[in-house]
Amino acid sequence: MKRHSVSRPRRALATGAVLAAGALALAACTPSASENGGTADPGTPSTSQTISVWHYFSDENQVQILEDYKEIFESANGGVTVENVFVPYDQLNPRLISSAASGSGPDVVVFNGADAGTLALGGALAPMTGYWDSFADAGQFPDSVVHRLDGEVYAAQGYVNLLGLWYNAEILNEIGVEPPTTLDELNDAMDAAVAAGYAGITLSGLPNSQGEWQAYPWLTAFGFDYADPQVEPLVDAFTMVQRWTESGALTREAVTWDQTVPFQTFAAGGVAFAENGNWQQGTAASTAGFEYGVVPLPIGSSGQVYLGGEGQAIGAFSANPDLAWQYLEQTYFSYDGGVIAADLVGSIPSRLDAAGDDVVTSNSLLDAFATSIANNGGNYPAPAVPAEAVADQQLEVGQIWSAVIGGQLSPEDAAQQMVDLLAGLL
Amino acid sequence: MRGGRTPGTARLSYESRKRRTQLLFVAPAVVFLAAFAVFPIIQLFRMSVSDVRVSNLGSDWQFVGLENVVRNLGQGAFGGVVVNTLLFVAIVTTIGLIGGLAVAILLAKSGRWSATILALLVFVWALPPVVNGSVWKFLLGTQGLINSVLLDLGLIDSAVPFLFDDRIALLSVAMVNAWVVIPFNALVFRASIISIPAEAFEAARVDGASRWQEIRFITIPAVRPTSLVLFVLTVVYGFRSFDFIYVMTFGGPGTATTTLPFLGYVQAFIRFDFGLGSATAVIAVLMVAVLAVIYSRSVRREEIG
Repeated sequence: MKRHSVSRPRRALATGAVLAAGALALAACTPSASENGGTADPGTPSTSQTISVWHYFSDENQVQILEDYKEIFESANGGVTVENVFVPYDQLNPRLISSAASGSGPDVVVFNGADAGTLALGGALAPMTGYWDSFADAGQFPDSVVHRLDGEVYAAQGYVNLLGLWYNAEILNEIGVEPPTTLDELNDAMDAAVAAGYAGITLSGLPNSQGEWQAYPWLTAFGFDYADPQVEPLVDAFTMVQRWTESGALTREAVTWDQTVPFQTFAAGGVAFAENGNWQQGTAASTAGFEYGVVPLPIGSSGQVYLGGEGQAIGAFSANPDLAWQYLEQTYFSYDGGVIAADLVGSIPSRLDAAGDDVVTSNSLLDAFATSIANNGGNYPAPAVPAEAVADQQLEVGQIWSAVIGGQLSPEDAAQQMVDLLAGLL
Repeated sequence: MRGGRTPGTARLSYESRKRRTQLLFVAPAVVFLAAFAVFPIIQLFRMSVSDVRVSNLGSDWQFVGLENVVRNLGQGAFGGVVVNTLLFVAIVTTIGLIGGLAVAILLAKSGRWSATILALLVFVWALPPVVNGSVWKFLLGTQGLINSVLLDLGLIDSAVPFLFDDRIALLSVAMVNAWVVIPFNALVFRASIISIPAEAFEAARVDGASRWQEIRFITIPAVRPTSLVLFVLTVVYGFRSFDFIYVMTFGGPGTATTTLPFLGYVQAFIRFDFGLGSATAVIAVLMVAVLAVIYSRSVRREEIG
């Protein structure tokens, strides 16, 4: 297995500098893994028969997937222990990159798939081309879920997550509208909901990658394309969103919400729609005290929904990459693994055979997401964004999205600013 | 002479041993500081003048001089971030000092209530910022306690956008920061106030001084040296504040609550432009260093006085 070829003193220097910058910038304030229920410290070195899996899941159902995978793998491989290690979402990439700079890291990484390029460039992921090429079921996976950089496979996604339009069926019945299939219908439905005293929609306007992920469908619905960024479609999209905030359909408080809070707000009742993902199925079932459903986001033929979800990879400094690959092969990339994720969370298996399992096909909620994949599914990140610019692009667009929702920027200024920023990145 | 040593030689030997012992005791602190303060700061400065991205973090860092600083200055948002930082520091310092002094004056007399409230203050001060920030984010939400109370009392018609209006968000987060620093300032001010001789207040009362006059002409002049020290400490605290912004607004809406420490974090750990983030951190460090010099001078003056 190819390893990062950086000398130890250089790595130590780099780590020291990262620690310094971190100490100065963070002022010892971010939560630690142990505070959030982690099972081991991320710095714990792996042994030959123990594999560490770093992840950022805190949702009960998502954690259960990892527990099920652990049980499957440990049962099938006597003497092997799987350590699932929680690292908060915002800290996972920095920890992986700083660990890689010091020549350490986990055996398996479960991360935001869009960050595959960034992590590969940072030396945190091991190329797994050899494993992938000899993987008998590799043909079951669409190419869009296999993350490559410079011809090497660095990660793949065992399942796909994407956004859809959740609706409160009781509110729609009351105001006499059907689940929308076009933007005009959505806007009319939200106007009617607001007139009836309800909120129109919840979504995330956080100024980071989560905001960009949520903004993308609305931007592309008006024809925006990262391959050829133009001001006009952005102005139209931002104008629509600001009309939502001005009418009260969308609270400007969304700028402080990650993707969890808006769904909890929707599930609490009183909101007609939520732009949120298939992974909220468990939360909806346990929390929502009303009838609900999902339709594809009504973003027309030009609109795109990122095919997101977590990427799974082997850590660049895994002590036992063969065992790490076996773990991935027997859990995330297996038929059963895909079905478990679909059953527990509502994630759609990437494997074509697992996507046809009853667990998926008999689930009416997942139908909408499957339709969305077929009609509007787009690579995440957009192919036009170079790997080294992904982090910048997600942050900058997320900040502009936040500023539009917060009313800090006019649609025209926001659109021009975004095009100018992208010009320097793409 | 036993052993052929003169008294002078013996004294020298004793002095030498004493110095060696002193050095031995100092050594751990020196090593610790060198490893965890001096070395990282040197690396930080080195990184700030280098092009360090995610792809070359662990390999060669190309020297680029002041290019990172120039890049920062060239970004339209940087000026706004500096203004945000100065505003933030001004709010935290003003409210932190005035609030701390007011609380200290109120709690200067010993008693059961005073002790209970002091214990609560220590609790607030010691609470982890992430917990504190999360609680305040909830309290300041549209349907949070503060808006609910204001609406129920009829003081407002619609919820105050504490954290999502770009004109209010910075003020809200700064107020929460100030709220957290008030207990510390109050404890220090109180220690200073209770050291004022009781006779001074008794004499003032005999002369017919009001409570306000006691505060104005006795308490405030007596705590002035403490105020200077606390002023510098609070400014430094406000300057390096990051955690509440991270938890409550993540620098938004847009970049409305982004300050220098948060910008440095975003540049280094989200954009993975370590050189740029380090340059921002160095700018912040230099600004804090100026205050640290003022602080050390004021402490020295206090000690001499």
